[in-house]
Amino acid sequence: MAKKDNTARIHEPLFHIAKRDALPLGKTVLIRASAILISLVVCAIVCFVLIKINPLELYSTMFEGVFGTSRRIWKFLKDSAVLLCFALAVTPAFKMKFWNIGAEGQVLVSCLASVACMYYLKDSVDTWLLLIIMFVASVLAGAAWALLPAICKAQWNTNETLFTLMMNYVATNLVAFFLIKWTPDGSSSLGSLPYGHLPQVLNEYLLLIIVVALLTVGMYIYLKYSKQGYEISVVGESQKTASYIGISVKKVIVRTMLVSGAICGLAGFLIVSALDHSVTTESAGGQGFTAIMVSWLGKFNPFIMIITSFLMIFLQQGADRISTEFNISNAFPSIVTGIILFFIIGCEFFINYKIIFRQKEVK
Amino acid sequence: MDKAVALELRGVTKSFGSVIANNNVDLTVYKNEILAILGENGCGKTTLMNMIAGIYFPDSGHILVDGEEVVIRSPKDAFKYKIGMIHQHFKLVDVFSASENIVLGVKDGTRYNLKEVNNRVLEISQRYGFNIDPKKKIYEMSVSEKQTVEIIKVLYRGADILILDEPTAVLTPQETEKLFKVLRRMRDDGKSIIIITHKLHEVLSISDKVAVLRKGEHIATVNTSETNESELTEMMVGKKVDLNIHRSEPVDPQTRLTVSGLTSTNHDGIKVLDDVSFTARSGEILGIAGIAGSGQRELLEAIAGLQHLDSGEITYNNPKNGEVVNLRDKTPLQIRDLGVRLSFVPEDRLGMGLVGNMNITDNMMLRSYRRGHSFFVDRQRPKDLANEIVNSLEVVTPGLNTPVRRLSGGNVQKVLVGREIAASPKLLMAAYPVRGLDINSSYTIYNLLNKQKENGVAVIFVGEDLDVLIDLCDRILVINSGRITGIVEARGAKKEDIGLLMTKTERVVIDTEEENNG
Amino acid sequence: MFKKVLSLALVVVMITTMCFAFASCKKDNADFKLGVILLHDEFSTYDLNFINGINAAAKELGLTEAQVVFKKNIPESNECYEAACDLVDEGCDIIFADSFGHETYMIKAAEEFKDVEFCHATGNQAHVKNLPNYHNAFASIYEGRYLAGVAAGMKLNEMISSGKITADKAVMGYVGAFTYAEVISGYTSFYLGAKSVCPSVTMKVQFTGSWYDENLEKNTALALIDKGCVLISQHADSMGAPTVCEEKGVPNVSYNGSTLEDCPSTFIVSSRINWAPYIKYICEQNMAGKKIDTDWTGTIATDSVVLTEVNTKAAAAGTVEKIADVKSKLQAGTLHVFDTATAGFITVGGAAVTSHKVEDKEVVVDGYFQESKIMSAPYFDLRIDGIELMNEDYGD
Repeated sequence: MAKKDNTARIHEPLFHIAKRDALPLGKTVLIRASAILISLVVCAIVCFVLIKINPLELYSTMFEGVFGTSRRIWKFLKDSAVLLCFALAVTPAFKMKFWNIGAEGQVLVSCLASVACMYYLKDSVDTWLLLIIMFVASVLAGAAWALLPAICKAQWNTNETLFTLMMNYVATNLVAFFLIKWTPDGSSSLGSLPYGHLPQVLNEYLLLIIVVALLTVGMYIYLKYSKQGYEISVVGESQKTASYIGISVKKVIVRTMLVSGAICGLAGFLIVSALDHSVTTESAGGQGFTAIMVSWLGKFNPFIMIITSFLMIFLQQGADRISTEFNISNAFPSIVTGIILFFIIGCEFFINYKIIFRQKEVK
Repeated sequence: MDKAVALELRGVTKSFGSVIANNNVDLTVYKNEILAILGENGCGKTTLMNMIAGIYFPDSGHILVDGEEVVIRSPKDAFKYKIGMIHQHFKLVDVFSASENIVLGVKDGTRYNLKEVNNRVLEISQRYGFNIDPKKKIYEMSVSEKQTVEIIKVLYRGADILILDEPTAVLTPQETEKLFKVLRRMRDDGKSIIIITHKLHEVLSISDKVAVLRKGEHIATVNTSETNESELTEMMVGKKVDLNIHRSEPVDPQTRLTVSGLTSTNHDGIKVLDDVSFTARSGEILGIAGIAGSGQRELLEAIAGLQHLDSGEITYNNPKNGEVVNLRDKTPLQIRDLGVRLSFVPEDRLGMGLVGNMNITDNMMLRSYRRGHSFFVDRQRPKDLANEIVNSLEVVTPGLNTPVRRLSGGNVQKVLVGREIAASPKLLMAAYPVRGLDINSSYTIYNLLNKQKENGVAVIFVGEDLDVLIDLCDRILVINSGRITGIVEARGAKKEDIGLLMTKTERVVIDTEEENNG
Repeated sequence: MFKKVLSLALVVVMITTMCFAFASCKKDNADFKLGVILLHDEFSTYDLNFINGINAAAKELGLTEAQVVFKKNIPESNECYEAACDLVDEGCDIIFADSFGHETYMIKAAEEFKDVEFCHATGNQAHVKNLPNYHNAFASIYEGRYLAGVAAGMKLNEMISSGKITADKAVMGYVGAFTYAEVISGYTSFYLGAKSVCPSVTMKVQFTGSWYDENLEKNTALALIDKGCVLISQHADSMGAPTVCEEKGVPNVSYNGSTLEDCPSTFIVSSRINWAPYIKYICEQNMAGKKIDTDWTGTIATDSVVLTEVNTKAAAAGTVEKIADVKSKLQAGTLHVFDTATAGFITVGGAAVTSHKVEDKEVVVDGYFQESKIMSAPYFDLRIDGIELMNEDYGD
């Protein structure tokens, strides 16, 4: 009998995978922490092998690049706030399982709308009035850019992912078109315009950060405690249930995307009026896509998303710093951030599943 | 007994997360034998069979085929040991013929020759008494024909051990009898057959032996000839259960809902409802019988305002003010705003009636969250209701904050039915409310429906177990392919008559029930 | 949560600024630091040219790696200002930016940090802004383009004499980025160079509307080849056009640097701006405590405009000698690129060019159009005869 068992075990797979129950919070934190730790070790090895830099120096450089001066900390907070604003914008749609990957385009058209107000109105109106006009124009532009795919989804069940993606390209080319139109010398570079600057509180970043902080709290309350937020959850979980209890799914899709687009509009307005005072095809800077990751990793919870935005910006700025400090191509820091993100996202698997190894002794 | 052992399980254990689906199960299957695996839903029957068929891999334990220990990692491995499983949900390619489906994926090294396959399929059919046309396409087949294809598919691959997972759930009594005849012939041909079911009378009529599972553990294997229904139930449930439904006489039945000439087509242009007319009365349970997918769901959803109609009328007599309201082309919200007290327990509990990822309180809120003019939701009242339902219906849950998908089937159903009844309906529709429930939970639900009936509610009950329909309902409406084929008085109705109506395409007058109430 | 992070962050700042306070005492040459802001990185030929120039200058000046700080991939937005500020914090004495769109943000930083020098390549605002610490720089790349054009014209002559094409089929194609003066000045001088040796040449210019779009540049080059262009040149920053030329076997005159390695059989010659002299100049001026010119224009004489080695495999015979000859004439000032005096050489709508005003100043003087005189950035934007713009509407 015992002999038979042995031969049988040779055929048994080395390990197999089983789903776990919900883990207690402490354990999930432990898993995530060890994931980050392992990722740092792997990065250290890669770093040492590829570019022969002391890994400790690498990490201290990252830290120094993000927190090294007060200006860098402010930039870190500002960039995180901008990214968080994008993420807050996509979150209601994502919670509804509407895969809006068009934040990039929605922000871009609202930047364009703001700049158009600046370009055409110049100083013909007071700054406060211009700012209000810019704000309204931005929000409307962002909302309109989100509305189109939402209506088509609600009415004809078109694929929102492709649609919003296409709208990004349309937005980019629209910006390119107006830049050519607005720069008669043909340079396609508008430069910083001297109109419609948001008033500074302490510095040019703080007001923006406060606005996004308030928005974060507002979004949390909206999603968790409002009737509309509840409807979003129901539609996201099951459209059948939503129809069954009399929620108009079409209405919720359109309304939620309007909210999403309007927040993108706010983001665009903030970028233009507080920071760039201009628009380029790169104004959204790809953060519309990073925001998707922020929202997902934050499990659509605005407060957790604060942490995930910090993480993303920390990695981005830390990577830039490595590139500058060691005078190497940006490709290498991208590898480092890639590895770290891989482990952070990958550890979710171990939170949901466990691996059972072949047992030595069967009793 | 001198029969040879075909398959043996020793100490097989499998868990999903902290849930132990099978714990240390020993089981022996002999050649020339039909073994019934009996147990309540969630007792681990299907998991156990899936391990034999290579879908799951056991955490520990041994499987022996013909006395040799084997490792079954995939269905392919299972076929190697001549084990084949017929799943509850068919896995067939619709546009292929029977033979094409049967030969699909067979790698026996020979050239693909459809003619030869057809011949072998016919040969297998004749041998065991199947009735099948090898060239018929799947989409032209009835459910029972599809099942036949699945069985032949397994036999074609040379299986000696056949596992059938709830094969009778989709069959009429007549078709069930036919299937059993085939199974007996296979047994006599030397095959081992394992049949999963939770219908006691079927166990008694088909099997040679019964293995009873309870909460993942093997309780006992007994010879069918030496046992009876109440003993098996006791083994299944773990205690004595009263298997009688106490039906009261309807008191002052009034017409509550009139449905006339309902016709509806689905996306593919197929008529899912065809000229359906009936009335539902207060203080009465109207049963709806039919093979699964015959239009029951569409009928209830049409009444609830969820199904588009081509023609027909739905009128509701409001008992409060005597008003007659037309429900046709109204949304669920409009229906409610008209003062219609309609509650609906849909077939798809977690996909429609409840939101699986939400907790009990938030699920209570589905019906009531609109209350008040505030922008924000009020969670206090739904929470009170949730507490009340958990207490009064004895819902087993770790707490009100547990997502309902984590509750067992019976508790999920208690939450859903509890919520729908809490709205104090005048018309209550329930589709397959006991599907997947254990015996105790089922009787809780029957009692709740009976109580509603006694309170003067018009109850519409869609069921699959004809014995229950006959015992619980006052009248039974039989539906097939979207048409009503008969409405019979439940008291004294015969199962065979109803089964016959389930397969008829035209309306048959069985008794004079219509005139009685005209 | 937010507050906690903020306070934690502030603690970190305090510690690090203390460290920096010790480090940033006033400098001698060993403390000199140059900060560089680049639009892209070394994968763009445009930025690579800057990186090479800066590294060459640093080597000549004996600067260590730590004395030159690169910030790559800085978009033309407030990020440019932020990068400049960060470089100031790091103690840079000069901050140099390489992209036209950086200009307004560089000016913003220059206004804020009066004691740091800001130098911006390709910009045109310095001469109107009048900031003592803000400077523009460019090079008379049109001279280099002209020489490259001579090589192109020689190649066309070779094709004509070998019977491969007839004289009237001597059509060149030009992939341009925008209808911007820098581009117009560039393609016109290239065309004139070719015309100086092959009088029958004509040129088609097609714009991409982007400085860097590899696919679009490929497709544009393909379209031009399909329209009968027998030689291609480009003013855009990717490898798109040279790659297509190599695939199709069409001779290519490149820009920004040699593409010989990737296009061994079609690459003729490339002109580029050599930024090393300018970088060297600003560093030396700063170290010596001297002023930097508001507008600095490098020329072929200062070695700011250079040609790569001629690829003799693709170029016509005698090209090297001819280029050397023309180059010496340009250096001596006996030859001018935008020669308006020679009859029929430059005409607009059939008429000779006798006068043109830029910012109210006459630039057609002494029988030629004086490019890069008023400011370092190019401003020649006449549409001369012989050049057909395929999609000019796009730019206007």
